[in-house]
Amino acid sequence: MKKFSYAILSLWLAAVLAGYVMQLNPDAIDLNAVLQKPGFQHWFGADDLGRDLLARILSGVEVSFAVAIMVTVVTMCVGVFVGLLAGFYGGRVDQVLMQITDIFLAFPGILLAIAFAAVLGPGLDNLIFALCLTGWVSYARLTRGQTMSLRNRQHVQAAQSLGASVPRLLIQHILPLLASVLVVEATYSLASVMIAEASLSFLGLGIQAPHASWGAMLRDAVRYMLVAPHYVLIVGACMMSLILAINLCGDHLRDALDVRTEK
Amino acid sequence: MVILHRFVRFISVIFGVLLLTFLLIHLVPGDPVEVMLGESASTADRTQLRSDLGLDKPLAYQFGHYLNQLAHGDLGQSIHTKEPITHLIATRYPATVKLAFISLLIALIVGVPLGVYAALKANHWQDLVVTIIAVRLSAMPAFWLGPVFMLIFAVWLGWLPVSGMENRTSIVLPAMTLGLGLSAILTRMTRTSLLEVLNDDYIRTARAKGLSERAVVFRHALRAALLPIITIVGLQMGSLLAGTVITETIFSWDGIGRLLVESIEKRDYPVTQACVLVVALSYVIVNLVTDVLYQLADPRMRQH
Repeated sequence: MKKFSYAILSLWLAAVLAGYVMQLNPDAIDLNAVLQKPGFQHWFGADDLGRDLLARILSGVEVSFAVAIMVTVVTMCVGVFVGLLAGFYGGRVDQVLMQITDIFLAFPGILLAIAFAAVLGPGLDNLIFALCLTGWVSYARLTRGQTMSLRNRQHVQAAQSLGASVPRLLIQHILPLLASVLVVEATYSLASVMIAEASLSFLGLGIQAPHASWGAMLRDAVRYMLVAPHYVLIVGACMMSLILAINLCGDHLRDALDVRTEK
Repeated sequence: MVILHRFVRFISVIFGVLLLTFLLIHLVPGDPVEVMLGESASTADRTQLRSDLGLDKPLAYQFGHYLNQLAHGDLGQSIHTKEPITHLIATRYPATVKLAFISLLIALIVGVPLGVYAALKANHWQDLVVTIIAVRLSAMPAFWLGPVFMLIFAVWLGWLPVSGMENRTSIVLPAMTLGLGLSAILTRMTRTSLLEVLNDDYIRTARAKGLSERAVVFRHALRAALLPIITIVGLQMGSLLAGTVITETIFSWDGIGRLLVESIEKRDYPVTQACVLVVALSYVIVNLVTDVLYQLADPRMRQH
């Protein structure tokens, strides 16, 4: 399973690079090839405007990855900052900050992201903003819990009694011990941000035409499902393989770094 | 005491949810009235809507007014149809609850027995197969699983209606789409939880006194193993409620999720606001109930 997941990820990477080298054009319209089935000319078939599906999928995965990485980095920084403060200081600070995360957690799944994206209006910037606004909470929770137990460790107390400043304590003595947990969490969150991005695009709230995005492609594909079932099947299978591979990598990392759960 | 503490937290969370949903409309870039009515609207219409929504008043006053309205069961009215939103929600909400409930049922019926089976066959090939399927299923988002089910069961086999909610069997496909993803999570949780319990001392005692394997597993182990499942089900109700947004859109199921998407497309922000509020409140209440149930179900928690 482990090798399998890395193989899929490398395959995707190779495909994106190959797409660059071959200079596939995801926006080239070919009205003779509308909804064409997979074949020699278009390996994965063509969409409702005769655009090459392979090229669009590859351009979609680029956008998807870019969004996922950006959102993960931003939410992790914000969440870790909040979590460190709450966990380290405890008391009032902790109460107030956790109260705020409680409120964000009261909105199930991507509901809050949908709401933010809806009022902000469609578009890539707003999509990223909406996902960032709602994504930091899980990191804050995770970091807080870990920090609370770490701050009583001897090495932290020793550093504190030697007069280390709070930022120094947090960055040099607590953060390094959090790194492995955060790496694992970030891997899972890559996958979940990709799903969230696709969900929002599927609802028409994310990336707008003519740019390729998996969510928007699936939305079109469902519309043409009766005449061109390959469209929905191929886009969906691509997406699933990538998300599955990322999640399996996360499982593997978790086991390798041996955090959170016992085997 | 614990329950009282939960209740205080519950109230403060509800207040936060109300504040956040109230602020939503103020996040609209530029003038919300202009965005909602479009550029062609007359000045009179704009002034009218602005005062209807109270947007010309100070923010604190608006929030007070919003809370007051809610306390009277009034969610305002739709900008497009002028219908009271309370009425819109009342007609759509039962469909979503029905869908969520049937999905949960499917998830429990499929997930728990599979988890038990995998735990009993731990580290055999059967366990591996179940785990692999569960991992696959949980990686499939609704907007992929839904269309695939639609293709297989409605288009190719013709067993079930493609979409809509006219027939009795219409609910099967959306409920399966929502339920199977959740069942994958339940399978994994049941397996882990049962495996942990099976190593406990009292299970060894039960075996040592000569109980049949069936009695040991079902009467002794499973009862303890299912406790954490209550919490998981409660938490997952949330993703179920949020998942209905996409699933209802795919299958044209007239629930609150579809109402939300429609209101977004029409820029009918008061309706959007109300839908978000209702779903979030449902989730918070489900969580509170789960917490209380858990306290009642676990004898160790009762003593504290």
